[in-house]
Amino acid sequence: MIAAFEEIRVHPSPSVVEKPRLAPVDTSAEQRSDHALMLAVREGELDALGELFERHHGPLFGFLVKHTGDRAAAEDIAQTVFQRMLKYRHTYRDEGCFTAWMYHLARRSAADHFRKGNATPQATDPADLNEHADDTPHAAHRAATNDDHALLQTALARLDCDDREILLLARFQELSFAEIAGILECSVGAAKVRAHRALRELRDIYFRLQNEPIP
Amino acid sequence: MNCAQARDTFSALLDTRTAATAHAEARAHLAGCPDCQREFSSLNQTLAALDAMPTPSPTPRLRQNFYAMLEEEKHSAASLRIAATREHRARRVSLWGWILSPIAAAALLGLGFFVGQRSIPAATPAPANDAVAMRQEIKTLQDQVSKMGQLVGYSLLQQQQRPANDRLRGVLTSATLENPNDQVLNNLIGALALDPSANIRLGALEALYPHAGQEVVRAGVLASLPREQNPLVQVSMIDFLAAARDREAVPVLEKLSTAAAADPSVRDAAKRALTQL
Repeated sequence: MIAAFEEIRVHPSPSVVEKPRLAPVDTSAEQRSDHALMLAVREGELDALGELFERHHGPLFGFLVKHTGDRAAAEDIAQTVFQRMLKYRHTYRDEGCFTAWMYHLARRSAADHFRKGNATPQATDPADLNEHADDTPHAAHRAATNDDHALLQTALARLDCDDREILLLARFQELSFAEIAGILECSVGAAKVRAHRALRELRDIYFRLQNEPIP
Repeated sequence: MNCAQARDTFSALLDTRTAATAHAEARAHLAGCPDCQREFSSLNQTLAALDAMPTPSPTPRLRQNFYAMLEEEKHSAASLRIAATREHRARRVSLWGWILSPIAAAALLGLGFFVGQRSIPAATPAPANDAVAMRQEIKTLQDQVSKMGQLVGYSLLQQQQRPANDRLRGVLTSATLENPNDQVLNNLIGALALDPSANIRLGALEALYPHAGQEVVRAGVLASLPREQNPLVQVSMIDFLAAARDREAVPVLEKLSTAAAADPSVRDAAKRALTQL
């Protein structure tokens, strides 16, 4: 039995094993922290936001794509997040954490997006169709993987919005539970419980979808 | 630990940041409970599938739109106003610096001149009784300097644990004193008798030469001579006693002049001293 348990391996989060190999850092140039850059933006040095964009727009977009299940919407929301950083830069606090603040804005922007989406149907921009055409997996690959990713995306979409949000923040964004608790305005313990509950919920939906007969 | 308690720890076990240190008890339970293994395994599979989801990249449009927005913001009225305010403030500070620095320097100079004028009395010809008082004051100051020198030498000599350099400096300081008190002489004799360094013993002997006329000094040197092992210092002590014409030294010198264990140079010096005495 113990041997059987040995077979169970905890899959490390992407933040641990799939970190992109970074180019060697040029230590001669002093690299400012996210916090220092955002403070500079607050004081009027707007170009510093460009550096923050380059550092963070990729992970932010990834979070938003998984959250919304819609690439075009994710881009729009990411754009809105950086717009709001500029607009509300004076509210950034001296003791703030930039990443937590960014996901706080992202969460609000996504909520606005969902609210707007529910109120009015959105027209599809034909240009977007061209831009995203190549992203569709090859048919053979889709068959081989039984479209697991699509199933999981569907399962994610069926999750409660808050559950999806906390699951993605906890798993992908290299945020501590203290930071997540700050973003969600709840206690650390509550954030942990909610994240685990969301994972169980996702597991149930995902396995149910896998076992559903193909129409 | 029961199943419910074990499952409460699954979130920690599934989190790679805490898995290594989390809940040995829960691991033990998991190893022996098929139901919990199934639960754990299904959650783990779900996370694996979640991690395997591709993370797409945004289109170049996101970057283009961002920088367009940034440029627009930089040229917006509000931003320009803020930038202008910052620049104006910086320039104003700089301008005030240019104006105030020379004024402050001049004010300080004037203040120094004024204070100097007030605090230093005008020089007047000193009357004769003032000259006497001044001589008295100089004498007092000389005494104080002399006492200070004695104190420094004394404290340096007293600290046997200090490096030899410091002890030697103490001896040399004492040697420069014209009228050392008994305490200083005692310390020099103590250094001559007890200091582990031959150089310091020689220095002490050198410092004692001007005071060879004093009974206590001659007695000190004579008492140190039989204890001394270094021939160079022994010869110097013998020369000292001969120069001081210390008749008390004759028995000791006679003994040394015939001592088989003594260095030949010491024996010669003792014989030479005996002829002088």
